[in-house]
Amino acid sequence: MQPLANVTSLKPAARSGAVQLTGVGQVYKTSGEGVLAVSDVSFEVKPGRFVVLVGPSGCGKSSLLMMMAGLRHPTSGTILVSGAAIHDPDPDRVGVVFQEPSLFPWLTAEENVEFPLTLRGVAKKDRRAKAQEALQLVGLDGFGQRHPHELSGGMKQRVSIARGLVQDPPVLLMDEPFAALDEQTRMTMGDELLRIWAATGKTIVFVTHSLTEAVYLADEVIVMSPRPGRIVDRLEVALPRPRTFEMLSGDVFGSLRDRIWRHIRKSA
Amino acid sequence: MSSTTLRRLIVVTLIVLWEVLPRAGLIPELFLPSLSSTLKAGWTDAPEYGHALVVTLYEVAIAMVFACGGGILAGAIVGSLPRPRLLIMPMVSSLYAVPLVILYPVFTVWLGIGSESKIAFASIYGFLPTMLATAAGIQTIDPQLLLAARSMGATLSQRVTRVIIPAAIPTVLSGLRVGGALVIVGVVVSEMLISSAGVGYLISRYRTILESAHVFAGVLLVLALAVAFNLLIRLIERRAAVWQTGTRAGRDAMAREIPAAGLQPANP
Repeated sequence: MQPLANVTSLKPAARSGAVQLTGVGQVYKTSGEGVLAVSDVSFEVKPGRFVVLVGPSGCGKSSLLMMMAGLRHPTSGTILVSGAAIHDPDPDRVGVVFQEPSLFPWLTAEENVEFPLTLRGVAKKDRRAKAQEALQLVGLDGFGQRHPHELSGGMKQRVSIARGLVQDPPVLLMDEPFAALDEQTRMTMGDELLRIWAATGKTIVFVTHSLTEAVYLADEVIVMSPRPGRIVDRLEVALPRPRTFEMLSGDVFGSLRDRIWRHIRKSA
Repeated sequence: MSSTTLRRLIVVTLIVLWEVLPRAGLIPELFLPSLSSTLKAGWTDAPEYGHALVVTLYEVAIAMVFACGGGILAGAIVGSLPRPRLLIMPMVSSLYAVPLVILYPVFTVWLGIGSESKIAFASIYGFLPTMLATAAGIQTIDPQLLLAARSMGATLSQRVTRVIIPAAIPTVLSGLRVGGALVIVGVVVSEMLISSAGVGYLISRYRTILESAHVFAGVLLVLALAVAFNLLIRLIERRAAVWQTGTRAGRDAMAREIPAAGLQPANP
């Protein structure tokens, strides 16, 4: 059970899609009292890898993701995305998908996907073309004119993924994106995400509290401890791609899931 | 029989009764003049009513600008800043419960019995609900939408114009509906109390000389004004807030689309 991978050297390239965290810690200020939420987290994600963060609730895995997105600032340590520090949200480098689809209800699916481009003043024609492309990628061709309330939960999350991909960032961060979906839709969306990942070659950092989802999707699973969140284990998932439903009942899958569960049970 | 036809039938019945009951002598004409004599009274003195209507409309229009413009502005400030909200909201809420009409004599002392005092009174009367609704509308905006916008690189001003304003429109409109109706009430009531012009003044004057048909002609005019205002708001609502009407429509659309899109397994 040795921790994987000492951090190797990283060539800074503008759009490489590598993510590198070094000694990241975060302290929350609550009524004067500082609470250590995340403590000394270091790991590296190589370009094009699918890495899943799991851990008990309150272990700071979502906080870590928010910091990688530039939406929060670490109290200590550094975060590099594609070789450069991230201080503010930068949709050119990082796309974010949240647990709630967070679509704007007054816009159509297409306009929602265009939103990040609209913010940058991209011409309408180019916006439309890119949004069409992204919607096609997530399997929502022909649904662009619908408003969010006319879409099912899974379809909304697809729109949200399309919106995260529309500027073609090399890194996609996903914060429990399927947690609010029912079991069947969730399985389907997992397969869909793997298909999109294979088609685009993005680096994906994915947060979940589902062990099955973690092992099924990941190249590598990073297990975190409860507050203060720190890394307790890293597992390479040696299952071949494409992943199939049958693997869920196999020995490899079972032993990986058990190993994660032992960590989490210990800390719960 | 559908509820719509039933509703229409009730309205038609009331109109017919209004004509028949006074004519049959079941209700004295002094209490309720028949519809035809009311319309005739209005028609013979059309210039007088027309002039009064112009005065009333002028007062309503100006008061509407103050009440709605001011209410939206103040509501936006109070709703988005926590400290003013804590200071002001309890006061405004309790002020809302006070029958403000008791202040009207004071307004006439300050501003005279002309249009100014009516405008001032109606403005304040309509201001409160507009402000309360706007503040509530801004407070209830899903913070997740703002976070998502930030992750896409939205600046503060973009978040205001592209997220906060469109998200607040439905609640603001429902505030305008109440506020605008109160502006009309405020103008007419103050005209009836102390004044020398306007529809309210006509109603009040004809009442003192027991000209019931002329009183009711004025009442009809105010009714028409209120109905026209309501139609206008509904038109704006339909244009601006299509998305909010969609909860049920959305569920239906979802039921139709799930077999077509959401749930096809990617790995059969």
